[in-house]
Amino acid sequence: MKQKTSRLPKGLGLVLLAAAYVFSLWWVFTRSAPIKQDRPVTIRIAHWQIERGPPEGMEAVIKRYEELNPNVKVEQLLIPGAVYKQWLRTNLAGGTGTDILEWGSWLAGQKDLPARYFEPLTAELAQPNPYNVGTSQEGVPWERTFHDNLIGARRDSPDPGQVYAVTVTEVSVRLFCNLELYREILGEDPVFETYDQFRQALRCIGEYARRTGKPVHGLAGSRDNGLWLTQTVWGAPLLELSHSFDDAGYLYLYNRQVLGAFLEGRWNYSHPNVLAGLKLVRELSQSMKPGYLQLRRDDAMLEFFSGNAVFLFTGTWDATTIRRTAPFEVAIMRLPAVLPDDPVVGSYVRGPAGEGMGETAMAMYLNNASPHKKEAIDFLRFLTSVEGNQIFSEHSLWLPAITGAEIPESIRDFRSYRQGYALGQAPYDLIGSEVSMQWDQNFHLLSGENGSVEKFAAQLDRVMPAAIRTDLENEARNTLILVKPQDSLIVARANLADDTPEGHRHRERQHEMEMGQTMSEGLAFQMKLQLDRTK
Amino acid sequence: MRDWLVARAPIFTICGVFSFPLRGCRRALLVGSVLLVTATRCLGAQPTGEAWQEILNSAPKRVLKTAAGANVSREEKLAEGAAWMSLQPSTDENLAKAAGIFAELAQGDDEIAAQAAYLRARLWQLHFLQPNYARAAELFEQLAARQPESHWAQLGLVKLGMLKLYVLPDVPDRIAAAEEILTRITEPELQRDLHLQIGQAGVLLKEPLERFLPHLVAADQIGGISGTAREDLIVQIGELSMRAGLPEQAQKYLELYLKEFPNNVRAYAVAERLAEARQLLAGKETAQ
Repeated sequence: MKQKTSRLPKGLGLVLLAAAYVFSLWWVFTRSAPIKQDRPVTIRIAHWQIERGPPEGMEAVIKRYEELNPNVKVEQLLIPGAVYKQWLRTNLAGGTGTDILEWGSWLAGQKDLPARYFEPLTAELAQPNPYNVGTSQEGVPWERTFHDNLIGARRDSPDPGQVYAVTVTEVSVRLFCNLELYREILGEDPVFETYDQFRQALRCIGEYARRTGKPVHGLAGSRDNGLWLTQTVWGAPLLELSHSFDDAGYLYLYNRQVLGAFLEGRWNYSHPNVLAGLKLVRELSQSMKPGYLQLRRDDAMLEFFSGNAVFLFTGTWDATTIRRTAPFEVAIMRLPAVLPDDPVVGSYVRGPAGEGMGETAMAMYLNNASPHKKEAIDFLRFLTSVEGNQIFSEHSLWLPAITGAEIPESIRDFRSYRQGYALGQAPYDLIGSEVSMQWDQNFHLLSGENGSVEKFAAQLDRVMPAAIRTDLENEARNTLILVKPQDSLIVARANLADDTPEGHRHRERQHEMEMGQTMSEGLAFQMKLQLDRTK
Repeated sequence: MRDWLVARAPIFTICGVFSFPLRGCRRALLVGSVLLVTATRCLGAQPTGEAWQEILNSAPKRVLKTAAGANVSREEKLAEGAAWMSLQPSTDENLAKAAGIFAELAQGDDEIAAQAAYLRARLWQLHFLQPNYARAAELFEQLAARQPESHWAQLGLVKLGMLKLYVLPDVPDRIAAAEEILTRITEPELQRDLHLQIGQAGVLLKEPLERFLPHLVAADQIGGISGTAREDLIVQIGELSMRAGLPEQAQKYLELYLKEFPNNVRAYAVAERLAEARQLLAGKETAQ
């Protein structure tokens, strides 16, 4: 039988398929926006808060914003924290960064980003937020509507005179307790009036674990949770010492001052106050599982959820996840303060270490390459208006950052802070990357069974001088990296300044940059002087 | 589109000319094409405003790509120098090209000359791999002598003051040297910046409080400081005034701090110091 032959050439199907594949590749990489766009402007906001709560909160704010602004579509991009740094750097360098991005000064190796890629919001923040009309914040400059007047955004700015970010929420740290497990072990509800009562509870839990052979620890352990806990307790005995080298009279210390004071021989790890602080750290370390420094916050959460730890010390950013996920009753409480009457380290404590009045967080920055800066700023205004921020808070159960936004009943206690002294960025363990590395590498000398406070301090005093010098050199170098590019930018602004509104803005920015650059340069010179003097 | 045209103009010309069949017409076409290329090249030279905008957009390469010819204006030349200065990675070779352009432009007596002279000094102060602070200081002095009223000369004096405060050798009294420069600065905002630097340097140089505290107060009085710098300055004047035995001044600034930054982590300590200041003042009144 004669076979029926096709008129089409052989292999045409494959060629068509390949062509279709190539076309779709081209489409995806060059035209990934929807074919039909209902709204003329699309702005995108990226952040790493993928815990339970914030994505829902942001989505609710976007929905309301889009109702009010029919021309603008807002897309939320959720980027996991584990890849956020790489994602951020790659997209900003490639010019594909979203219009609004979350950034934090603690993201290692990303300190140059604000100066390079973000636009200051100083001028806008000085004006009232138009979305606050009819609220208690009507007419109040935008910056002043934040509960903390943007402490963190001002501190983390590359120019001391500029503000680059607005914040969405407020955070504090709390002790989360597995009530059922606590009652099973101690036979009562946890009520801690003093730090020593908490210490005794941890001791009882340790004894219970040894007696029963159950793998239960007092505290869920991970590097992150350990650090938050350490920084909360060991600041108390360090207050007196820190105050002694506050030559500038800031009633606060910046990292560079702590580093400089070490190089000048004004403190070391064998100083009695530092030893007292280390004693507290050792106590807490021994209530966590061995090797906890190798674990991340998710591991600690898992340990807590699986009933293998009585307490989890974490930020209120985890509260919604814990409440919605924990298969047991959870009590949330504040960690008691270490006070002068503490039987172990009280003689070194000057007074209560304060929590401040809350610091707002989830800082959002404007990409200076955004094609829709006007709309992006407008969305930030709504997000941080009384209405917008309240919507975010209600749907995320995270604290609002804006004064006048009502706090949902279930999280109201998160905004009660302990008052006391606070010397700021003086943790002595995380002053810079080299210091942190040495701290981690030698931590077993403090937390191990055969370790001791004295052994750890002696080792740190051997290795830290070089590490601290390197960190101060890096800090000075990083400051100059921010300062140098500003010279040509300042001259560019000056040449673009004229009598138009845009020209006025250039003039204003020129003068702001000149002031900020001089201040940053001064800091770099001060660090250099300290390094030269202590060679 | 314009960039696209400019980049491909020579190719279009060659293809166009040689695809034409008649020899005589080819000649005419060739002349026409040369004119076309020249025109498109002119089209390619960026207006200066765009060049500055490219520098703001961190795209100095685009400025250098279109920088051409001897007939460019002084401003265009300055933008080219600024582009060499901004080019990444920064190399001494690129910076030397910028320095050459700035040196030539600095010979004039206009605004461009002042900007060029300022940037030239900044290259030596900050940008070259091995800074030469003495050379930078010399260039700032020269600029101040040639165009003392220019904003760039005034800004250069602030930088010169900082060099004297922190790094230049053989400055026996750093504070006094910077104070001398301060007398030559007439722009209040720049006076403020140097006052602030003298104040901060005074802390680090461990000078007596009475030598540098007035500079901090002066910086605050001129105003315009924003961000964390303002917060630091207010608490600093309050606290250092207490240490200097000036409780009235301390009270004024500590009260201001609590009014402006009531939620800050420092508020507790500030409130405590304010109570001490008030107590001292009350004691004084009682004694009188």
